[in-house]
Amino acid sequence: MKVTIEDVVLPSDQCEEIVKAGESGRVILGPGLRKEIDGVFIVKAGVLKKRSPNTYWVESYQKRYVPSRSENVIGVVVQKAGDIFRVDIGGSCTASLSYLSFEGATKKNRPAVKIGDVVYGKMLNASKDMEPELVCVDSDGKKNYMGVLEDGFMFKCSLNLIRKILNPKCPLIASLKNEWPFEMAAGMNGRIWIKANSMRETIAVGNAILGSEYASNEEIKSMCNNIASILAGHNS
Amino acid sequence: MDVDESQLKDFKLKPMKCEFNVLSKSDGSAILSQGETVVIVSVNGPLDIKMQSQSIEKATLEVLCCSKGGKPCVADRYKENIIKQTCDAALLSNQYPRTGITITVQELEDCGGLLPCSLNCACLALINSGLAMRCVFAAVTCVVDEQGDIVLGPSKEQLDTARAVLNFVFDSRDKSLMTGFTEGSFSEDTYKEAMERCRVASDLVFAFYRDIVKQYSKIIA
Repeated sequence: MKVTIEDVVLPSDQCEEIVKAGESGRVILGPGLRKEIDGVFIVKAGVLKKRSPNTYWVESYQKRYVPSRSENVIGVVVQKAGDIFRVDIGGSCTASLSYLSFEGATKKNRPAVKIGDVVYGKMLNASKDMEPELVCVDSDGKKNYMGVLEDGFMFKCSLNLIRKILNPKCPLIASLKNEWPFEMAAGMNGRIWIKANSMRETIAVGNAILGSEYASNEEIKSMCNNIASILAGHNS
Repeated sequence: MDVDESQLKDFKLKPMKCEFNVLSKSDGSAILSQGETVVIVSVNGPLDIKMQSQSIEKATLEVLCCSKGGKPCVADRYKENIIKQTCDAALLSNQYPRTGITITVQELEDCGGLLPCSLNCACLALINSGLAMRCVFAAVTCVVDEQGDIVLGPSKEQLDTARAVLNFVFDSRDKSLMTGFTEGSFSEDTYKEAMERCRVASDLVFAFYRDIVKQYSKIIA
């Protein structure tokens, strides 16, 4: 079936608009699109989106993470093997994390990472044929908020929810951050780590995030106010 | 191929109802009822699997069918094989090399047409899981009754008394036949006519898929 931008699409649909745009210039095919000999095909069900000038992708529902380059993820260290750590990032296989890819780490000065630690890092390398590679420093050698996440609480959710709360248009973080202080790290692999001053506040943040998955912007705002007032009532 | 035009337009399939994401822990799940037959399917993957069963070029597909009684039998193996081969053709499994994809099918209620219902439900669960697919597929059943007429979307009584039961699975790309399995005796012409009529009826199933995705795309996008 022929489809256009903002349509609901199913696998095997074709979009001629993209092919036409490709004739006059370069186009970027994002997730859910695939170029074959006879045109551009949809491979995931969802909504076909476009960002000007030339980026196309399919917004689809997904729970299982498939590693992709330069995404920030949260992983759990499962094994120490010589000079690398194996980190579970929720994909089909574990990612490797070199002990040298921490801020200030040298061969003499090893970072203190134990099995079971939660780390926040960036995917350096993620090809479907190779083991994914994770780093906890940026290109300047600075940690840039990455590294081992101390204490706190980690939970899993769908990949869509992560994209939703990280979207600047989503009011969730904006309305929560004024109510009480907390730290948060969101991994594109469907994991969220939060740390607040008390257990009650941590649970409140977690519930607010999970509750916003199917809520509209107005509903999210009123839910945040609700949670904040309940919390304030208990504290006083 | 001469098929009566009016017969191609005048048909009805059993009413379908579906719900996505019924299981919280699996990567994709769907429950589908076609008439009184109800099936629940869960998809997990791509996951890490044993070295022996890994394939360098593509994902290894595993299908498990559980009947209501819970005892595995030879008939389940037959169903697993058909679902596996159909899903293998529909999935772009070369996108996930050295991994495993598990599809679990649980029968909840069997009032005839369990296998086509399982196939459609498996397709919906794959859509929900967000795995890359070459196409979606639709399974359609028809029977040849005692008078020799072809009936689409048969009831349980019609299935029991039928001279032959024909099942077809079509892909959405060019409506070509992906899988076909039959029971009973029929002529070649009957087979061809039944196939053409099921091909037209598969449009209804594809429209149903699109409708379901439309409903939940409002929430995800």
